[in-house]
Amino acid sequence: MPGSANSRRITWAFMLGTLAAWEAGVYFWHVPVYLLPPPSLILRTLIQNAPVYLHASLVTFGEALLGLCLGTCIGICIAVLVTFWPTLEHGVMSLAILVKSTPLVAIAPLLTIWLGFGWQPKVVITALVTFFPVLINVLVGLQTIDASLLDLFRSWRASRWEFLWHLRLPHSLPYIFAALKVSTPLALIGAIVAEWTGASGGLGRQMWLAYTNLNLPHLFAAIFILAAAGILLYWLTTQVEQRLAFWYLSSQ
Amino acid sequence: MEILIKNLTFSYPGSSSTVLQEINLYIPSGQFVAIIGQSGCGKSTLLRLLAGLLQPIHGEIHLNGKDASLRSNHPAVAWMAQSPALLPWLTARQNVALPLRFQRNGSTALLEPEEALERVGLAAYSDEYPHHLSGGMQQRVALARLLVQGAAIWLMDEPFAALDELTREHLSNTLLDLWQWLHPTVIWVTHHIYEAVRLADRILVLSPQPAQVIEDITVALPRPRHENSRGFNAYVTQLRNTLFSASPSGDLAHAGISQQ
Repeated sequence: MPGSANSRRITWAFMLGTLAAWEAGVYFWHVPVYLLPPPSLILRTLIQNAPVYLHASLVTFGEALLGLCLGTCIGICIAVLVTFWPTLEHGVMSLAILVKSTPLVAIAPLLTIWLGFGWQPKVVITALVTFFPVLINVLVGLQTIDASLLDLFRSWRASRWEFLWHLRLPHSLPYIFAALKVSTPLALIGAIVAEWTGASGGLGRQMWLAYTNLNLPHLFAAIFILAAAGILLYWLTTQVEQRLAFWYLSSQ
Repeated sequence: MEILIKNLTFSYPGSSSTVLQEINLYIPSGQFVAIIGQSGCGKSTLLRLLAGLLQPIHGEIHLNGKDASLRSNHPAVAWMAQSPALLPWLTARQNVALPLRFQRNGSTALLEPEEALERVGLAAYSDEYPHHLSGGMQQRVALARLLVQGAAIWLMDEPFAALDELTREHLSNTLLDLWQWLHPTVIWVTHHIYEAVRLADRILVLSPQPAQVIEDITVALPRPRHENSRGFNAYVTQLRNTLFSASPSGDLAHAGISQQ
């Protein structure tokens, strides 16, 4: 589509323009490297330390994705549970809101003490921050079914599981993707914050080391990777959405 | 499949007003019955009770001699409403095949989904998704879905009311063909006097709430029925007069009755 090709060109021009202005600003105002390194230096740092960043990224993204999967599954399971037994809704939702509103930075050190410096506390933290948007969205998807569809399934004497499998879950798909668009960046944030509070590896660990040494090119290199990963994961989510929830998108 | 309704009274839980009052009816197997009455008089409630979507408070519903208030006794009925209620993530064929997944008694389908779609004139659209089909085509898919169920009772709640005049006539002709082919018992809720006379063997007129059957008319006209014939107009006049006298304001349009 010419429109989308055009908007893609504008996006690239905007991003490259920002980087060029950044580079020029640092050069003209002689900004010291310990305050703001130029993008060219950040890229050079990235390339020179590629194996280190690759390994760190694999650790962090592994934790983030595992936590995201766990959080998504927990969110969907709780939503199904509450839909099946509505009397549980008040209790379960109060608990979920309590967990969601407890600050991440308060829980992360605790989990590190309990579970160690490995991947486990990071996955738990990521799951804790990602389950809530999934729960809230999927709950809406499972419960806002058109009355005529419910009547039809009742007239067929569908069982509770058949309602879930053939009607409620497929109907929730667009809601799951809406949640994933919010929870995917949250998963990255969760993994990084958890690593800052104590880790043996990962991008968060690299960032913490760079920060304590005031090594801003290294700090920015990790930020660049995180930004790129955020965009990539969002793009992947929309691609899968277009394949699985096509009927919802084309009826918009 | 015959339907026997004895002393059926119904009100919604928590509501003090009675929707249906002492309904007694016998509908023999294979009859095409239209139910007509004002908006909100309880026509749809009666249909939902027959479908087992609601449970009667007093009285009994017997389908083929069995008390249908017991869920396990309730035979398979085919249900069709004003909204086509198609699943948007399934193609037309998959939508038509869907009710077959819920048939528990191991009975074989009356028709293959492809065949049912052909019967309603949509063979070429079987792989299309609902959002690619017009409103009339979506209702045809719903009709094909009703067909594959092989149910002996078709409960239809104003299924074509949201469609334009021409499409409605086409679809009601298709329905009439299917009924003449399979002879199910059809209970058809409608607002349209002409449509009721054109299609039904028998027309039941319900009073405003609490609804009772105030007129039970047997339409003794051969098919196809022509709207300009004298016999046809006599039934239309009789129905109009009954509905007019039953309407508290005496205004049929206000009561949601279409005389087209």
